[in-house]
Amino acid sequence: MDESVYSEIAQIARKGSGQDIPPTKSYLIEARLATLLRREGLSSVDELVHILNSRPDSKLAGEVAAELTSKKTRFFDGRPALERIVQTVLPDCARRATDGRVRIWCAGGSTGQEAYSLAMLISELPQDTLGDVQIEIVTTDICEKTSASARSGIFGHFEIQKGLSVRRMLTHFTRLETSEWQISHALASKVGVRTHNLMQPADGLGIFDVILCRNVLTEMTRPARTQVLLNVARQLSDRGLLVLGEKESAAGLIAGLEPSRAFRGGYMRNVDAGELTIAA
Amino acid sequence: MKSCLIVDDSRVVRKVAGRIISDLKFEVREAGDGTEALDACRQQMPDAILLDWSMPVMNGLDFIRALRREENGRKPIIVFCSTENDAEHIGEAMRSGANEFIMKPFDADIIESKFAEVGLI
Repeated sequence: MDESVYSEIAQIARKGSGQDIPPTKSYLIEARLATLLRREGLSSVDELVHILNSRPDSKLAGEVAAELTSKKTRFFDGRPALERIVQTVLPDCARRATDGRVRIWCAGGSTGQEAYSLAMLISELPQDTLGDVQIEIVTTDICEKTSASARSGIFGHFEIQKGLSVRRMLTHFTRLETSEWQISHALASKVGVRTHNLMQPADGLGIFDVILCRNVLTEMTRPARTQVLLNVARQLSDRGLLVLGEKESAAGLIAGLEPSRAFRGGYMRNVDAGELTIAA
Repeated sequence: MKSCLIVDDSRVVRKVAGRIISDLKFEVREAGDGTEALDACRQQMPDAILLDWSMPVMNGLDFIRALRREENGRKPIIVFCSTENDAEHIGEAMRSGANEFIMKPFDADIIESKFAEVGLI
């Protein structure tokens, strides 16, 4: 790929989603844009750049940025953290809940495996663990197509076999004639899917008791990471918990966000949501 | 080192699976049908068995039932691996004593995921 083409696309990614595509990973560009190129009837990324330049600020640039983000996920990814959230954190949240509900946000949740894994774990809790409290899970992704896939609750032959035991597959999914597997209505009804860019304020999604934002920050530029952390932390309830990926840290990025003492790898606000700021 | 017996009448499947499972640090042996597999188990009981469903002489289901009656026959963790991918077949395999089920075709990631699921790795 021509260097100028790479820089144009890398710039669109930085601006649109905060994603950092270093030159060593320029191969990702062609791989991840292949479907979009086909749909637009374009033969190369080069042509795409020409079109983008002739129509600056078009909707297409946003789609390009969305398509470039990683969609990699699997069922029960980082399982210990998910189990701790469901078995320890949610019962605590449920006891404190004043409006009869506990809300969870899977930020950058791709095709929904994280949200549905949580829903499965919740369904396996001993009865009465959460009392009458309703658990609401929202999963968001920047990419409209990815969100649509999450919303369908349909998983292919390979996806359904990664991270998921056959016992859970048979309990929670039905096989379709296409050989794909569809999540049960009971679990699907617990999960809401929205398209959302984490670089934008998330007020519209409401306040959450637990926010998972795992393996999303890793591929972002530092300014984008900070902005995303600020945006998600502002949606935390007063004793809400933000959980990042195992290799991710918010240390030193946001003033007013501190590591949780009870949950390793988790963060909590120690100021009012409105007082959270980017650390100097 | 843990051991895994790969039971499949297709030599190609045995080779592909064997390579993946060797990479997971297993000592790998092969058998072409259920009776060969039973002989192999009597010589030395493996830690894991990757088992095809339809094979000549003795199929996968008959093999599981026979093996589970053998001395130490409850020890191996059995991962069924089959193209019979509908819920009824999978359910039948599990009721017969399999510990996990892989739907063919598979890749390295699926084998690793399923082996992790049953605590083999």
